[in-house]
Amino acid sequence: MKRLVVISVLLAISVFVLAKTELSFWYAWGGDEGEALLALVDEFNNSQTEIVVRPVFVPIGQGEKINTALAGSSTPDIVTIWDWMVVPLGESGALIPLNDYLDSAGIDESDYLPGAWSYGAYRGIKYGLPTTINAYAFMWNKALFEELGLDPERPPEDIEELDEYAELLFKQDSRGNIRRLGFLPNISHIYFYVFGGQLWDPETEEITANHPGNIAALDWVASYYKKFDLQKIRVFQATWGEMASPYNPFYRGQLAIQEAGQWELLFIEQFAKSDFEYGVSPFPAPEGGRDKVAYMNGSFWAIPKGSKHPEESFEFLKWLTDSGQAARFAAELSNIPPKVDAINDPVFQSKMLPNMEIYIDMLTDGYVYFFPTLPIGLYYMEELNQALQYVQSGAKTAEEALNDVQEAVNRELERYK
Amino acid sequence: MRKMAKSRIREARVGLLFLSPWLIGLGVFTAYPIIASLYFSFTYYSGLSSPRWVGLDNYLQLFKDPLFWKSIYNTLYLAIIGIPLAQALSLLVALLLNTKVKFLGIFRTLYFLPSIVPAVATALLWKWFLNPQFGPVNLLLEKIGLPTPGWLTDPLWSKPALIFTSIWGVGGAMVIYLAGLQNIPAELYEAAELDGAGKLSKFSKITLPMLSPVILFNVVMGTINSFQSFTSVFIMTGGGPENSTLVYALSIYRNGFQFYKMGYASAMAWILLIMTSIAIFFVFKFFGRYGYFGGVDRS
Repeated sequence: MKRLVVISVLLAISVFVLAKTELSFWYAWGGDEGEALLALVDEFNNSQTEIVVRPVFVPIGQGEKINTALAGSSTPDIVTIWDWMVVPLGESGALIPLNDYLDSAGIDESDYLPGAWSYGAYRGIKYGLPTTINAYAFMWNKALFEELGLDPERPPEDIEELDEYAELLFKQDSRGNIRRLGFLPNISHIYFYVFGGQLWDPETEEITANHPGNIAALDWVASYYKKFDLQKIRVFQATWGEMASPYNPFYRGQLAIQEAGQWELLFIEQFAKSDFEYGVSPFPAPEGGRDKVAYMNGSFWAIPKGSKHPEESFEFLKWLTDSGQAARFAAELSNIPPKVDAINDPVFQSKMLPNMEIYIDMLTDGYVYFFPTLPIGLYYMEELNQALQYVQSGAKTAEEALNDVQEAVNRELERYK
Repeated sequence: MRKMAKSRIREARVGLLFLSPWLIGLGVFTAYPIIASLYFSFTYYSGLSSPRWVGLDNYLQLFKDPLFWKSIYNTLYLAIIGIPLAQALSLLVALLLNTKVKFLGIFRTLYFLPSIVPAVATALLWKWFLNPQFGPVNLLLEKIGLPTPGWLTDPLWSKPALIFTSIWGVGGAMVIYLAGLQNIPAELYEAAELDGAGKLSKFSKITLPMLSPVILFNVVMGTINSFQSFTSVFIMTGGGPENSTLVYALSIYRNGFQFYKMGYASAMAWILLIMTSIAIFFVFKFFGRYGYFGGVDRS
């Protein structure tokens, strides 16, 4: 009799459990960030009785594992992917377009930061929701400015002044080894926009690799690698420590001015000496260029075509990207939530690191762009890296190199039409 | 007679049944992908959506792609300098370890040890060893007053650095040479000694010819491995600086999985197969002419 009771109770529980919809959720963060997300998942599971989300840690890595999984049939219900993967996966039918779900949930462009709505979309179709946003700004070491008689509170006003500062702050030893770099443009396309150019035309969704602004910018970027000698720069860079460590070249004084994502604020908080002082501002621009250029990037949540419960999956995503949750998650990662409400959320505001407000001002009030999320975004990026090498080695002029990129990328895009 | 045939058939059936796990594995995981990739090489295929037939277009595009030629150049550079060097060194070490010295077992173990270390660990270790300013290699060079190149950061030195690191793993080939050396009948050397042969002529007239099947095997394996090398490059340089270490297999990987050009990558894979076959063909030709195979003509 007793046994019968136990069995029937067990049966009842299993029926109850089976009645819930189970969602497998591939998330991509370990450590504290993973913990923060898992806590949110638990909260969601406890908040209702219909859906159980089962998180699975799948590091995002190079992406090929997820590509292969989505090409096959054993897909998760929700997946975390890089921005460059969203449109290629979506356009080839591996992801469910979210437009209808978003419409019926009443979520639209106005909820998101300017630009963030079309991020991860292609020709109007949204294939994913940004998890959090990263942005890049201009950052300088105040002590080094002071040491060389520069005003530590004032960043260079324009590109000419930046060039002067870079040379002034540059230091080498008697054998010609670099000891300190003043500044080194690292992500070329930021300066495409700073110089008034663009990677693509968001209206027509056409590639604009050889925009005159891009050509001028690429010439300028290459000039740094020529002036300070690419080979010596590389040898010097090999001595730089990890970014998330006390050996980060910026706060160790090996690099005086840098372009840095907002995560650097957290690294400085965690790893730099307590008396380290630095300034943050938008990038200085040349005459006729653009002020307050903000380059945003990040990762995405998406629902694969193979999901057995797309509606429930969206339900979960809706909850997870809702302002309150988005604010808490972003605060934990020292990232920026993609939604306006979430940024204004007291939780996010109270956890905001010093100088974060400059990033947020750039994102809300500046010229925001993202690397175009095209079916072949990474190929475009690689072609641009090639172009920089050609220009810096003198094999091609900036105009020739970018004309070639324009042609190559358009040819590849043509294949997807 | 009939009965014999029946039992034979039954035996074959049972044999095939026992083989079937392997046969199915070969079919599903090797034969099918190979044939599919031949088909994909004639299509535009992102790896996700359905492929679209384009004939020879991928191959035509490849020949116009500067990175394709660069990756072939890099791969051939590593092969042409790396393989003879590795073979010569492993043979040399094998010869030394075939003599009667003290602690022979320890030496053999020591030389073989690096080839047991996983490729990823080896690559990470060398990356640190070759750091231009902190790495032990350059610290040593600096101490003895030699120039300290940027190794993996300098396009001039990155390929030599890769060859240098690959030589660390000659233990695998060495063991095979060692086995080959011990198979050479001692009476051949005795007879030669009676005829007054010196060390050098014993090596060139007996050791090398008697070893040629082993050398052939090692060179063929070395060629295949060299053409497919991926792990060490992927970890140590990622193809940089300035694509100076963009080897062919890495280029296939990037096109297929990162640029979503699976058709293009398939075409590259087939060209790799053809290149490897041509290289192996010449290896066999060479050995057929200069090697000794116990009187069997291999040409």
